[in-house]
Amino acid sequence: MVTITINGKAVQANEGEMLLAAIRRQGIDTPALCHHDAIEPCGSCRLCMVEITKKEWEGWTRSVTSCLYPVEPGLIVSTHTPQLLELRKTILELYLARSSQSEVIQKMAEDYGITHSSFPVIPDGDDCIMCYACTRICEELGCFAISAVDRGHDKKVSGPLRQPPPDCIGCLSCAHICPTGFIKWQDLDSTRTIWERQFELLSCRTCGKRTITRDFAEYLMKKRNLPAAYFELCDDCKRTETAKTMGKIVVAAQEVLK
Amino acid sequence: MRITSAEHLTQLQKEYQKEAAKFPRKILVCLGPGCLAAGSDRIYDAFLNHIAQRNIKGITVEAVKKTGCHGLCTQGPLVTIEPDGLFYTRIQAKGVPEIIEKTLEKNEVITKLLYSTPGKSQKIEKWADIPFYSHQMRIGLRNVGQIDPENIKDYVAVGGYQALAKALTMTPEQVISEVKTSGLRGRGGAGFPTGKKWETCRKVDSDIRYVICNGDEGDPGAFMDRCIMEGDPHSVLEGMIICAHAVGSISGYIYVREEYPLAILNLQKAIEAAREFGLLGKNILGSGLNFDIKISRGGGAFVCGESSALMRSVAGEVGEPRAKYIRSVIKGLHDKPTVLNNVESFATVPVIINEGGKKFASIGTPRSTGTKAFSLAGKINNTGLIEVPMGISLREIIFDIGGGIPDGRKFKAVQTGGPSGGCLPESKLDLPVDFDSLTEAGSMMGSGGMIIMDDRTCMVDVAKYFLGFLVEESCGKCVPCREGLYQLHALCVRITEGKGEPGDLELMEKLSKYIQLGSLCGLGQSGPNPFMSTLEHFREEYEAHINHKKCPAGVCRALIKYEIIDACTGCLACIPVCPVGAITGEKKKKHFINQAICDQCGSCYAVCQFDAIEVK
Amino acid sequence: MMHDLSKIEEIIDRSPKEPGALIAVLQDIQREFHYLPCEALTATSRALGVPLSKVFSVSTFYNAFSLTPRGEKIIRICQGTACHIKGAKLVQEQIESNLGIKAGETTKDMKYTIEVVNCVGACAMAPVIIVNNKYHGKVRCDQTRKLLGIK
Repeated sequence: MVTITINGKAVQANEGEMLLAAIRRQGIDTPALCHHDAIEPCGSCRLCMVEITKKEWEGWTRSVTSCLYPVEPGLIVSTHTPQLLELRKTILELYLARSSQSEVIQKMAEDYGITHSSFPVIPDGDDCIMCYACTRICEELGCFAISAVDRGHDKKVSGPLRQPPPDCIGCLSCAHICPTGFIKWQDLDSTRTIWERQFELLSCRTCGKRTITRDFAEYLMKKRNLPAAYFELCDDCKRTETAKTMGKIVVAAQEVLK
Repeated sequence: MRITSAEHLTQLQKEYQKEAAKFPRKILVCLGPGCLAAGSDRIYDAFLNHIAQRNIKGITVEAVKKTGCHGLCTQGPLVTIEPDGLFYTRIQAKGVPEIIEKTLEKNEVITKLLYSTPGKSQKIEKWADIPFYSHQMRIGLRNVGQIDPENIKDYVAVGGYQALAKALTMTPEQVISEVKTSGLRGRGGAGFPTGKKWETCRKVDSDIRYVICNGDEGDPGAFMDRCIMEGDPHSVLEGMIICAHAVGSISGYIYVREEYPLAILNLQKAIEAAREFGLLGKNILGSGLNFDIKISRGGGAFVCGESSALMRSVAGEVGEPRAKYIRSVIKGLHDKPTVLNNVESFATVPVIINEGGKKFASIGTPRSTGTKAFSLAGKINNTGLIEVPMGISLREIIFDIGGGIPDGRKFKAVQTGGPSGGCLPESKLDLPVDFDSLTEAGSMMGSGGMIIMDDRTCMVDVAKYFLGFLVEESCGKCVPCREGLYQLHALCVRITEGKGEPGDLELMEKLSKYIQLGSLCGLGQSGPNPFMSTLEHFREEYEAHINHKKCPAGVCRALIKYEIIDACTGCLACIPVCPVGAITGEKKKKHFINQAICDQCGSCYAVCQFDAIEVK
Repeated sequence: MMHDLSKIEEIIDRSPKEPGALIAVLQDIQREFHYLPCEALTATSRALGVPLSKVFSVSTFYNAFSLTPRGEKIIRICQGTACHIKGAKLVQEQIESNLGIKAGETTKDMKYTIEVVNCVGACAMAPVIIVNNKYHGKVRCDQTRKLLGIK
């Protein structure tokens, strides 16, 4: 543990952890769109930038992305200087010009007092803010189904060769992690559709509820070394089964104790 | 053949010098990019053919050498006859027999091929007497244009690899100390002290360290590194090997852009020759040092000039920069400590070792020591490659060396530092050229491209051009750069189209500030510079576009029109070049532009030989 | 379009089978075919052990790669700063109008492709165009037809 100063208050933080974690632990609201605890930070949204300095820097300050900057002893951190607020406002206006329909962006901008962007709305804009959360989680899972293609302003997330991604397992991690809900999917009967691909959904042996895709189950069997039987029940029925088993054990134990 | 020791190297040097002395006269044909574009490869072949056919005493084909860029590209194709120093310009292949006959056989000077200063009739025989050359001082470019880059013997004969031999007798710490004494700062543009970088790398505890040479030269309008890699590849290798000894590395890369095929080829040949001579590989010069170099071809992405992006590209990945809170000298290629220097920096190192850091530090200014290579291009008489002591004024470079502005036009601005740099106006011409002065003035040294602009260049258009370049080249990872530069460019386009509104400039200024503050890497952080610097120095030009819907330089199409005036001779030249067929006319009669069709492309204006088309 | 697949194999074969070789292999394939055929991307992915999505990322990131077939003659127009202020845009428009295609496109008969490049370092001869690796300097817009070899 080391001591750092956040907004004038001395606090304890773990050396090497990222500043953002230490800041949030103090209950200070620092916005971030590309950050998620499940994936490595990448620093693309720039909203979590903070100003740092140290006593020995003689008044010199530096603006850094708090999700990527490791805690060092003696750091003096400011999270809401007028300059940082203006920076966040400008970034949110840029987001608003690109993703004018996104409720998440609209809400965030409102929190900063912005109702419309000073910049022309980009005609072919969409709700994808290119935060890479989806591609990073997909990489983390070892699937590498989707990736960022092209570059600059044209950059987008896509399957290889701009086709439905052959390595996708329909696990929905990308859709769940997407901060703006841009990645759409649909479950209809026994079919799940995502990234223009269709997947077969398994059903629970007991209640018939749809569980996960067959591809995802196969992935987990291989990766976690799980038996096929593990995927026969839905989570609810698995719990019920467990409860039943536990109940039997309790009864048996009581019998023994009698 | 392997060179086994320093003594062996010196012995070879003498041998090669003796060999060269067999040809008292050498014909050096420049095959630099400018001359090559003017057809100098045909001149070289013509010399070989004609000399082979004719039996001239004392002159054989071995006396004809192809060299890298000699410098004065605008006068190309260039041929120099050494040791006389005789300098022929604008040579055509059909003129080669005359040169052989008159100059080589009869020792006559062909006056019409000599250079004369723009606007003056006096001819100058020797290249060293031409003001373009006489104001220069060459260290990084010392051999470029003087030796055959494909022949390692040429390099050894002029003392090549002697610095390496000397460095190998020094401890790594001594080498680093010498480089530190020299005050050498990175020639890629950032100006980080090279010796300090090497020292940091050496001190990091690691099993592997890498040495990378950045030959990505992505700044449009810069060609210094290209000329060094093409014209003197061994000097780059020598610098890298010395660095490997200093920091303790066994593996190096040269990252060259794919747009420079000849640089790749010449470096490849140089690496192979150096391996054969035992200057790369195991036990270099018998010293026990092991080091080898691979070429990594860039895929054409400006952002790969940024160190973390470059290293990802060398590793075969997408060249997206990472936040550099841990510097690449500590955690670089494959997360190992890595020294990354630019081509010119490495090419300079052998001279520092040979002549001593103190001597190098005595050149230039105290905080920017030594010399710096620049490429001069744009609206300037002597476009070409130069090297000058730091601290020289922009005026000396542009007017004394560059020969001023052609066609009697007026100087307007000089752009330095490429897309990350800025435009400086006439009032800044007496600024000394060094890292800190240029940065203070709102531009930067950059890798050394200088583009000179005259009064027919529109500064809003220039800003639009650079912003457009950066929008294309932004990797797209972080928002301020991806979205911010896009919007900044869009606003600039709007202004050039005559749709600018009051308040646009203030919005652009604010946006620029936060792009600079918020971007992840140098590309974004310096991205607004072309706009900021043109706005600072040419605000009235922006205001003319916005408030009066006028482009004072006559460039922005939406704000101008072309008209044919009475000077028209009716030569018909403009008619076929009009892409929209707006010009009509008959031979020897004044032509006419149909304004309803004309899209103001300016093709007619560009081809008219009689100044008969006016911009209004 | 059918490709000589053995050529792709050949290129991959002589390269080290490691992810770091990806860009170099793609460059060699691009050099051979003037573009990256789909088959080449999948073969490279398999051989180097790089996921296809990553191969695709790399091949769409760098300017040097094209995913559509190129014409017999590749006309590269330099749009570096020096060329820009010396009227490279005009030359480009002239060539586009001569061939009836825009930069980045290929004529239907697969004879010509126009590419725009960001400075080839021959600024002294601006504006510069390169036709199948041959440099032409100080190009005027009334010379483009001749340089393209069309009437």
